[in-house]
Amino acid sequence: MVRYLITRLGQALIVVVLVTVIAFLILHLLPGGAARATLGKEATLEQLAAFNHDMGYDRPWIQQYGMYVQRLLHGDLGYSYQLNQSVVEAISQRLPKTMVLSLLSTLLAIVLAIPLGVIQAVRRNRWPDYAITSLSLLAYATPIFFMGLMMIILFSQVWPILPPEAPQGFTVAEVLADPAGLILPTVTLAIVTIAVYSRYVRSAMVDNLNENYVRTARSKGLSERRVVLRHTLRNGLFPVITLLGMYLPALFSGALVVESLFNFPGMGQLFWQAALKRDFPILLGVTVIISIATVVGALVADLLYAAVDPRVRLRGSTS
Amino acid sequence: MSESTVRKSSAGQPAAVQPLLELRDLDTDIALRRGTVHALDGVSLEVMPGETLGVVGESGSGKTMTALSIMGLLPPGGRVSGGQILFEGRDLRSLPADEVRRTRGVRMGMVFQDPLTSLNPTMRIGVQVAEPLRVHERVGRAEARDRAIEILRRVGMPRPERIVDNYPHELSGGMRQRVAIAMALVCSPRLLIADEPTTALDVTTQRQILELIDDLREEFGMAVILVTHDLGVIAGRADRVAVMYAGRVVETAATEQLFRSPRHRYTEALLEALPESAIRESGAHARLYSIPGLPPDLSRPLTGCRFAPRCRHVTDECRTTDVTLSTGEHQHACLHPVPAAPAAPVTLPAPVRVEPAPEPAATTAKAGQPAATPVLSVRELVKNYAAHGGGLLRRTAGQVSAVAGVSFEVGPGETFGLVGESGCGKSTVGRLAVGLERPTAGQIMLDGVDIASLTGRERRRMHRQVQLMFQDSYAAMNPRMRVDAILAEPLEIQKVGDGTARRARIATLLDQVGLSRRVLERYPHEFSGGQLQRIGLARSLALQPRLIVGDEPVSALDVSIQAQVLNLMRDLQRELGLAYVFISHDLSVVDYMADRIGVMYLGKLVEVGPARDVVRAARHPYTQALIDAVPSITPNATAARDGVTIRGELPSAVNPPTGCRFRTRCPLAQEICETEPPLAGDGHQVACHFPLRPESSEASARAGAAA
Amino acid sequence: MTTLSEAVRPGAAPDQPADAAEAPVRGLWRQGLVVFCENRLALVGLGLFVLLAAVCFLGPLFYHTDQVHTDLTAVHLAPGEQGHPLGTDGVGYDQLGRLMLGGQTSIIVGLAAGILATALGTLWGAVAGFVGGWMDAAMMRVVDAMMSIPSLFLFMLLAAIVTPSVPMLILIIGAFAWLGPARLVRGEALTLRSREYVQAMRGMGGTGGRAVRRHIVPNAIGTVIVNATFQVADAILYVAYLSFLGLGVPPPAANWGGMLSDGLADTYSGHWWLLYPPGIAIILIVLAFNFIGDGLRDAFEVRLRRR
Repeated sequence: MVRYLITRLGQALIVVVLVTVIAFLILHLLPGGAARATLGKEATLEQLAAFNHDMGYDRPWIQQYGMYVQRLLHGDLGYSYQLNQSVVEAISQRLPKTMVLSLLSTLLAIVLAIPLGVIQAVRRNRWPDYAITSLSLLAYATPIFFMGLMMIILFSQVWPILPPEAPQGFTVAEVLADPAGLILPTVTLAIVTIAVYSRYVRSAMVDNLNENYVRTARSKGLSERRVVLRHTLRNGLFPVITLLGMYLPALFSGALVVESLFNFPGMGQLFWQAALKRDFPILLGVTVIISIATVVGALVADLLYAAVDPRVRLRGSTS
Repeated sequence: MSESTVRKSSAGQPAAVQPLLELRDLDTDIALRRGTVHALDGVSLEVMPGETLGVVGESGSGKTMTALSIMGLLPPGGRVSGGQILFEGRDLRSLPADEVRRTRGVRMGMVFQDPLTSLNPTMRIGVQVAEPLRVHERVGRAEARDRAIEILRRVGMPRPERIVDNYPHELSGGMRQRVAIAMALVCSPRLLIADEPTTALDVTTQRQILELIDDLREEFGMAVILVTHDLGVIAGRADRVAVMYAGRVVETAATEQLFRSPRHRYTEALLEALPESAIRESGAHARLYSIPGLPPDLSRPLTGCRFAPRCRHVTDECRTTDVTLSTGEHQHACLHPVPAAPAAPVTLPAPVRVEPAPEPAATTAKAGQPAATPVLSVRELVKNYAAHGGGLLRRTAGQVSAVAGVSFEVGPGETFGLVGESGCGKSTVGRLAVGLERPTAGQIMLDGVDIASLTGRERRRMHRQVQLMFQDSYAAMNPRMRVDAILAEPLEIQKVGDGTARRARIATLLDQVGLSRRVLERYPHEFSGGQLQRIGLARSLALQPRLIVGDEPVSALDVSIQAQVLNLMRDLQRELGLAYVFISHDLSVVDYMADRIGVMYLGKLVEVGPARDVVRAARHPYTQALIDAVPSITPNATAARDGVTIRGELPSAVNPPTGCRFRTRCPLAQEICETEPPLAGDGHQVACHFPLRPESSEASARAGAAA
Repeated sequence: MTTLSEAVRPGAAPDQPADAAEAPVRGLWRQGLVVFCENRLALVGLGLFVLLAAVCFLGPLFYHTDQVHTDLTAVHLAPGEQGHPLGTDGVGYDQLGRLMLGGQTSIIVGLAAGILATALGTLWGAVAGFVGGWMDAAMMRVVDAMMSIPSLFLFMLLAAIVTPSVPMLILIIGAFAWLGPARLVRGEALTLRSREYVQAMRGMGGTGGRAVRRHIVPNAIGTVIVNATFQVADAILYVAYLSFLGLGVPPPAANWGGMLSDGLADTYSGHWWLLYPPGIAIILIVLAFNFIGDGLRDAFEVRLRRR
C-alpha cells in the first residue's frame, strides 16, 4: 500500500512537470513569443525586446524553463494587461465558482446515475435497459450547448419557471444565494455525465452479476435485493471512484461550454473570453491550473479507491 | 416416476424412509441466442437422508445443470420446464418464491467448483460465512461472528478467530474451499450439493477436502450430492452413483456395483477409456479404448438412445426406440446392456475388451540402446524470476525460484513424464526446454548440442528439433488465422519447401492426426477441444521434430476425448520415433504415457525413475503422498490406503525452505533435512535422506544392464 | 469528451458446440459481416451515415444555391417562402443548401481528424507497447500529461494562436485526440504480445517482426477500427464546440456546429429553422458513428462466437 502510494504520487508529480513543460513550450512557440503574447499586437519592437530582457526570455531555454517553474512555485502565473490584473488573482476569483458548479453537477450525476445503471443491469436487455441506453446515447450525441439551449427554451420560455442566466455573484456565497439560477447550468452539465456514468455503472454491474460469487450469494438463499445491494453494488461501485478522476478533463471541458452558454462567471468563461481576445497569459495560466486540478483530482480518486477496495488495499499494487 | 415407485417397492424398503430429495422427470431448457438447449431431459433421481449420491458425467452431460436446477440457480435463460423437484416431500417448483429461497438457504447448501471466484472478494470471510444466519435466523452481529468462528473451526481452518476478518484473496485455494464449505454448512442443512468441489485444486488438497466433506456428512447427518467428471473421486466417496450422458441419467446403482459391473454401454466405455483401466488390465501400455465422435448437440431434436452414434453395440433399434431406465436396484437405460456379472467375488472390474497391446517401440529404446545420445539432456537447470512490485518504479521485491537445479535426460523415442502440483516448476522446465525462455543457469542439450552456444540461424533451426504442445490449443492458435495458415506457419518460419510442398506436407499431417481436409478453411473457434488438440499436435509435428514437449496436453479434455488424443500421441510416437516430455498434474495419465517419470516439488526434482517403479514403489515421501491422494476407480482403494499424508500448504517460492524443500510438510523430516539431499540412485533416483524403500533390485539391475 | 467506447459490452451467452464439419465454410470477414448485419442499430447507423453523406455531397449537384454571395433582400425567410424549402438565414443564404455545405465540412473534418488521431495514437501506443520498459513508461507519462489538460481548453488555446481553417481544424483536433487510441493500442499490444499463440510462434523459431505482422496487427486492427468510428463522432462534436466558442471556421465557409451556434442567436426571434436542422443533423451523424462502432465491435469479436 505504501509502495503504491509512493509510486502513484511520483507519477502524478511527473505528469504535473510535463504539463508545465507543455504550457511553457506553447508559450514560446507562439508567433512573436511570450512577449507578443503578453503585450498584445500593438507593442513596438523595442517594448518587446525590453520585456524579453526583463523576463529573461533572451536566455537559453533550459534556464528560461527553470525561471518559469520558479515563478510558478511562487504563485506567479504572469500578468494580464487586458484585464489589468495578475493571472493568479483572476483565476482565484473564478476557480471556486467553477468548482461549485462541477461539484454540484457531479453529485447530481452520481445520485442519478447509480440507480439508473443498477436498474439497467438488473433489467438488462429488457425495455428499461433499452430506454435508458437510448436516452444516454442521445444525451451523449447532443452538443452540450444545444442541450442547454433546449433547457432554456423549455424551462424559461415555454414554461418560465427558471432564469435563463446563471447567478452573477462575485463570491461563492453570492452565487449560492441564487439557487434557482444554478439549476439549469448544473443540470445541463450533469446530463452528459449521467449518460457516461450510468453506462459505466451498468457494465460494471453486469460484469459483477455474472461473477461466480453472486451465484454463491444466491445459493445462500438471499433475496435478489440483498444480492444486488449488498454484494454486487459494492463491488461494482469501487471502480467507479476512479472513473470520477478519469472523467475530470471531460467535466471541465463541459464546464467551459456551460459557463459560456449561461454566462456563469467561472474559470471557463474567463478562459473563453480570454480566447476571443487572445489574452495568452490568462489562457496559459488557466490551462496549467485546470490541468493540475485534474491531476490532483485523479490522484485523490485513485488513492481513495485504493483505500476503500480491499482487493487493491491488501495487494499493495495495481496494474 | 413410476419406475422409482416400483424401485422402492421391489427393493422392499420400509415405507418410513422417504427420500430427502426426489427428482421426477425433470426437464431443463436453456435459451441461447441461437435456439434452445434441452440441457436436461426427464432426469429422475433420489437422494436418501444421510447418503452420498455421486453424479458423474462428461462436460455437457447435464450433471451441473441438475445441481443448479435443484438449487434454482440456473444461468440466465435457463428454466426448469417440466417435472418435479421434491425436497422433504414438497415440490420446490410449486412453492412460493420466498419459501424456496428459505429452503435453499437453510435446508440446502452448495459448494462450487472454483474457490478463487466463488467468494465475494470485498467481503470479510466472517461476514460471508455468517450471512445466512443473519438473514434466515435473524442472528445478531456478535453471535453471528461467534458462530462463523465455530463453523470455520469445524471445517479445519487454522486460527479461525483471525481468518474471520480476512478477505478471500488472502487465503489459498484449499482454504477458500474450506470457507465455501463452512458457508454452505452454517445453517446445518439436510443436503449439501458439491459441484466439482475439488477440480480446481491439487490432488493432495483434493484429498483433504473430500475427506472433510465425508467427515462433515457424518457429523451433520446430512445427505451429499457429489457432482464430478472424475470417476475416481466418486468411487472412493459415494454410496450410490448416477451416470449422466447428454442430459439424461443412463445408469444408477450402488457405487461398488456400478464399478464392478457396469451395465450401460456408455459407462462401460467410459471406464475402459481411463488410463488406469488400461494399465491394470494388461499391465503393459495397452491401447486405451476411445469412444469415437462427440456427444450430441442438445439443441436439436433427438430420438433413441443418445449414445447410439458412438456405441460399439448399436443396433437399428437403439436409434429409434426411446429407452427408459430399467427398474430395480441397478437401473440402466440400455437395450443391449453388459451382461450382469456374478455377484460373488469382489475382484477387478468385469473383463473389458482391450485391443491387443502393440509391441511398445519405446521399450526397446529404453532398455536397449544405452549408447544413443539423448534427444534432450538437462543439467542443473535453474530459473529465477524477479518478483516485481507494482507501478512505474518496478523495484525488484525478491526472486521466485521456479526451477532450482533440475537434471534429466530423454532418450530417442522415449516418453519422460514430469509430474507435480501447481507451482512446482514443471511448466517452466517445459518452456525452457523448447527455448521459449532462457535459463538463469544450467545447460540444455538437444542431440548433444548446448543450445546456449547456438546463434542466429542455428538457433532458429534448433526449433525444428523440439516443439511445444499446449494445454489450451485454442489459446495457442491465432483466432484470425485459418487452419491451413496455422499449419503452414512453422513451415514458413523455417523456410521449408515451396507452396506445393507445404500443401502436401499439411495434407500428410492431417492424415496423421485423423482430420479431414475440410478443416483447412475453417477457424479455430469452430472446433471442439479434442479437434483443436489434434490440430495443435499436427502443427507441432509439421517440422518433423524429434521431441515434443506436451504441457498438460489432455488436462482440459473429457475422458473419452482424452483417450482419443493419448492414443494418437502413442501411435505417432511409434510411427515417427518421437520422444515426449509429458508434463501433467495427473499421475494416472503420466503413469499410462511415460516410460520414465520425474516428480517435481517446488522447483526440484525429488524422484526420477522408470514409470512402473516410481508409481508402484515410490521412494520419496512426497511421491507416495501424491500417489495416495490420486483417486482410483477401484472401489475402496482410496479408503484402504494409509500411507503418507501431507498437511499444510505449499511454501512460497520466493523464500523456499533451505535444504530439502519438502521438509516443512514431510512426516519424516529430521534435522539433517536442513541440508540438501542429492538425487541418488542408479535407475530409480531419489533426493531424500530417508527414502521410503531401497532401490528395487530390478531397477538397479536394469540400470546395471544399461551401464 | 470521454467516448462511450470505454463502456464494456456484456458477455455473450455461450453457444452450443457445433460439429465443425457440418457448418458451411465462411471467411472471417463474411462471418463478421453477418454479425454486423444482425445488429439492427448498426445497420441503421450505416444507413444514416450513407444518407447524410449522400445528401451533403451529392445534393448540391441537383439543388443549386448561392452560398458565396449574401442576399440581404431575402433574410430570415421562413421555410417554403420564395422557393427556399428550409428558409434562409440572417444574410440570405438558403438554409437547405447551407446544411449540405456545412455537412461536407463536418463530415470531412470528422473523418479526417478521427483517422489522423487514430493513426497517431496507434503508432505511439504500438511503439510504447512493443518496446516496453522505460520507453513505455516515459511515453505513457506524456500521454497522461496531455490527457490531464482538458481537451477543449487545449483546442481553444491552439485555435486562439492560429486562425482555424478546415485543414488547421483537422490538424488541431487530430494532433490532440490521439491520446485515447494511444492508450488503447498500447494495452492491446501488451496483451497480444503475451498471448499463447505468439509464444507458440516463437517456439517455432519465429521473429518479433513476424509476431507483429502476422499475429498482433491482424488482431489489434479490429479494436483500432472500432475506436476510429468513435473518434470520428467525437471530432464532429469538437468542431461544433469550437464553433460555438467562436473559434470555428470563419464564413462564408460553414459547418453544422457553426450553423447551430449562429442559430442560438435566433432562439428568441422565433427563427426555429436556423436552430433545429443543424442540431438534429449533428445528433444524427454522431449517433450514426456510435451505432456503426458498436456493430463493428461485435463483428470483430471472433471470440464472441466461440462455443
